[in-house]
Amino acid sequence: MGEIPEKHVGEAGHHKQRESSTMGLPDQVGNVARRTMEELAEDICASQGKSKFSLGPLEKVYVFWLAGMSCDGCTVSVSGATEPALEDLLTGSIPGVPLVVLHHYVLQLESGDHYIQTLINAEQGKLDGPYVLVYEGSIPDENLTVGGEPFAGEGSLPLWAPSDERRRVSTAEWMKRLGPGAAASIAIGTCATWGGIPAAYGNITGSMSLMDWMGKDYRSALGLPVINIPGCAPVGDNFTDAVQAILLFLQGLGPLPEFDELGRPAWQFSETVHTHCVRAGFYEEGTFAKEYGDKECLVEIGCWGPVVNCNITEKGAISHMGGCMNSGAPCIGCTMPGFPDKFSPFYKAPPGSLVSSNASRLLGSVVRNLRRISQRERNREIRWHDTVPSGWAMERGGTSLTHKILEVFYEAMQFQGGKAPERDPQKKFPTGYQSLPDRVYTKDYQQLPEDRVLKTEKRV
Amino acid sequence: MCFKNLPVEFDAQGNAHLKGGVVDPYAYKPREIKRDKLEELLARNGHIKDVSISPVTRVAGALSFHAVADLQERKFLEANSVATIFRGYEVILKGRDPRDAIYISSRACGVCGGVHSTAACEAIEMAFGISPPPLGTVLRNLALALDFLYDHPLHLFLLAGPDYSQVVVQATSPAMWEKATRTEAPNAEVHQFKTIGDIMKGLNPLSGKLYLDGLKMTRTPREAYSVLFGKYPHPQTVVPGGMSSTVTITDFNETYTRLQKMIDWTKRMILLWDDLTEFFYEYNPEYKKVGARAANMIDLGMWDDENSYDASYARCNEWGEKRSVIDGQLVTTKLQQLNLGLEEFVEHSYYEDWNQNGKQRFATDPSGAPLSPNHPWNKETLPKPSKESWKDRYTWDTAPRWDRQVVEAGCYARIWTTAAAGLMPKNEFLESTGHSLKFHMPKTMLRAMDFEWKIPTLWNAFERNRARAYCMGYNLMVAYTMVLKAFDLLRKGEDKVSTKFEVPMGERIGVGFWGAGRGYLSHHLTLDKGAITNYQIVTPSTFNASPKDPFGNPGPYEEAVLNTPILEDFDKPSDFTGVDMLRAIRSFDPCMPCTTHIYGGEREIVREVNTCACSAEG
Repeated sequence: MGEIPEKHVGEAGHHKQRESSTMGLPDQVGNVARRTMEELAEDICASQGKSKFSLGPLEKVYVFWLAGMSCDGCTVSVSGATEPALEDLLTGSIPGVPLVVLHHYVLQLESGDHYIQTLINAEQGKLDGPYVLVYEGSIPDENLTVGGEPFAGEGSLPLWAPSDERRRVSTAEWMKRLGPGAAASIAIGTCATWGGIPAAYGNITGSMSLMDWMGKDYRSALGLPVINIPGCAPVGDNFTDAVQAILLFLQGLGPLPEFDELGRPAWQFSETVHTHCVRAGFYEEGTFAKEYGDKECLVEIGCWGPVVNCNITEKGAISHMGGCMNSGAPCIGCTMPGFPDKFSPFYKAPPGSLVSSNASRLLGSVVRNLRRISQRERNREIRWHDTVPSGWAMERGGTSLTHKILEVFYEAMQFQGGKAPERDPQKKFPTGYQSLPDRVYTKDYQQLPEDRVLKTEKRV
Repeated sequence: MCFKNLPVEFDAQGNAHLKGGVVDPYAYKPREIKRDKLEELLARNGHIKDVSISPVTRVAGALSFHAVADLQERKFLEANSVATIFRGYEVILKGRDPRDAIYISSRACGVCGGVHSTAACEAIEMAFGISPPPLGTVLRNLALALDFLYDHPLHLFLLAGPDYSQVVVQATSPAMWEKATRTEAPNAEVHQFKTIGDIMKGLNPLSGKLYLDGLKMTRTPREAYSVLFGKYPHPQTVVPGGMSSTVTITDFNETYTRLQKMIDWTKRMILLWDDLTEFFYEYNPEYKKVGARAANMIDLGMWDDENSYDASYARCNEWGEKRSVIDGQLVTTKLQQLNLGLEEFVEHSYYEDWNQNGKQRFATDPSGAPLSPNHPWNKETLPKPSKESWKDRYTWDTAPRWDRQVVEAGCYARIWTTAAAGLMPKNEFLESTGHSLKFHMPKTMLRAMDFEWKIPTLWNAFERNRARAYCMGYNLMVAYTMVLKAFDLLRKGEDKVSTKFEVPMGERIGVGFWGAGRGYLSHHLTLDKGAITNYQIVTPSTFNASPKDPFGNPGPYEEAVLNTPILEDFDKPSDFTGVDMLRAIRSFDPCMPCTTHIYGGEREIVREVNTCACSAEG
């Protein structure tokens, strides 16, 4: 629907720029393009033209990304997302999804007070759209730093004042100031969702999660508690996937995104990582890796997958590729509230596996052997009986008596309640057809050119 | 003679000992910071401007910067680099099972995906007395090379790149933009950007082709990384004694095709950064002073030789030299000397001096050479949040120094030392000549091309960025070499990737000498009764973002800003944007998460450092 805009590739420099809002501010330090990243994104978006029909009430959403005790790993993960890709969200290139104006210290064009000014505008309700808060890293207890520099600071106030009259503002404070007015607050990564490493035993900064910091009564302007997207680092696509799902729902297009009792996107986190693990089959058959690098199930060398809510084995780490167990890494429970202390020491078999993996070993030893028999028989063409025409050293063409007996039962069960098809090869194939390959070179191929025949002989 | 300032001598056998006759050999008197004159100038105001940038964006993590600029003389009078987070990881590591150090220390920084886990592993291997099988070492090298291949494009096109884009150049120097649109790019035939203006347009955030391709190209190596090592960042495949990757032919093939794509793109990008750099120099030679400082650098070397590396301290100088090394004038390539020269100072940081608490833990290293009380092994992290003061304490970063000299870390420190030392084993793709680093990139869509990074005569922001572009090519050929080595090992049937180990119960020390995308990285560990008794991490940005030391020397970012002329256009003082100083700071590729790391232990041990630099007066 709608007409194709005349100009479909946007570029900021080509479009007539509006006067920047930064020109009226008292100082230009840090404003290197003399306009903000937000304005630039809007210029790009505007230069792409407009669809004839609107796909929802929202045109743009601001996203403020704040960091506490963070390693930037969540940011790095999200920069790798492709479903949808960050750049498509940030240029408003996905139909129906509003332009996402991201305010992020790693990507922002402007620095310093010009960067902070937008936060102040948000707090004062001066933005021309709703905003979402994203918090990365755990939140330190800044009561411990009263009178000194905060453990995690971003920006200093008052803006435009000389440095000795300023005070550094903690990101925890920004969260309290901006939280109530936010359409939603999203905790990204295990530090922000559950405290993570900075909040582990030995924590001297009083670090905690966003839920701990905001309290259970916190509700965003849309009435939502904190949304949690865990993982250390999280799968970047889980974040952009959730953001797109929420935005499409708000536009009246997508279905209702569900969240579990801990605020995780239910469609991403309701199963364990073991459920979709590429090695789960080994577990089922009771075969386990003994050393690092082995291809079997990793439970006995420290994998917690069967009890961990995560989707990385299914979703992949990036572009649907990789994923911990897919490549040989045992799960250490990095998406879980109990991470790291309830999972360490790492590289050690989880205590619960004593019961479960031995049970599967017991059952697996029976199932596995039966399966190998069936598998072997199913690796035979129906026309093969005692010989297999493979040059690849498959010498055991013959079928043992045990196998034959088992196959009779198998076949009886296979066609139980129905009619088995005709099994006589003489009737199945045209008259005169010889199912054994021995004759091939001696008959039909005789008519091939001389050298072809010679070559064949040589090979034999 | 390796040390100029430390009271350490070497005898004929090369053993280190303290110089005789000095009473308190490591003692020093901290120099006070005087800024009365500056404050007076500021009070008079006018063209002397107090410049406060909080936060500095387009860097990883939390960095602020303060400076005092003389807008008439167009120079900086004061510069303070401010790290604004502290996390206390080193405390969290204490008392834990040593194996936990790998995964926990990895979380020091999520920008470099697996460098900390690898450094932690090397420290553990030294402490445990184990080493990885050849394929394990090759896989580690490959992992780190891929890691940097994501890291450098991120910096060049998403973090630093916008400072050279049309939107910024047009706003801060309209005449330059005008000229850029009329200047043909000498290497346009390869990189396909006709004029310098086209390159600048390509660097525009969110819409430029270089910006968007750069972002996409950060994903390509991460895909290969995830296939081989699980995920990026924080791979869980790094284990004591090797790796836990289950390697298959498909994994290597998928890596191989991604390398091919990157080789093609990197050929173009190296020449593109050459063109951009030369244009700035030509437009105004003053740009050569942006971010300038003496080429004093430090690096530990990387890419262990799979047949030499045995994780031992005793042999570290030997296996260390099989790595690559560099320096302005190469001072040493001995990891042990690099280790001995290292000290950390906290006079201007929010920490207390641990030496007030009594006796030094280690007077010597495991081989008996003297250690400073300020060496990381003797360090204890005692955070003390206090009020910011430019005269006193102003950052969460410490001031690490080598031989009491200010040294800079970076990927370029690695190629610099590698080029200068000429010790790197030569192969078809890589060669270190003593004055340059040559690499050959095979035919892809583009023709086969030879590149040579010559040790620059100048050292500034532009050279840092240019060197980073060359580093992409260098790392790429390292990655390529590692894939070929892995193929070779697999052909020989050497497919083991890990070694069995047990956690030792006795007292052990270990050091991981390694590198990050931004250079130097060491992890220092002590164990007793199967648990960590101390853990310390020294990272590249700890050096680069450091505050002034007690001898009065500013840290590398600070020094680079102090040497930066103000070249941007502005009519009145309030129009000043600070783009030149931001270019200077960003050229280091600041990474604050690991800078303000993990301090908190009591003592730590170190293995050795391989590359070293610290030269001087470059």
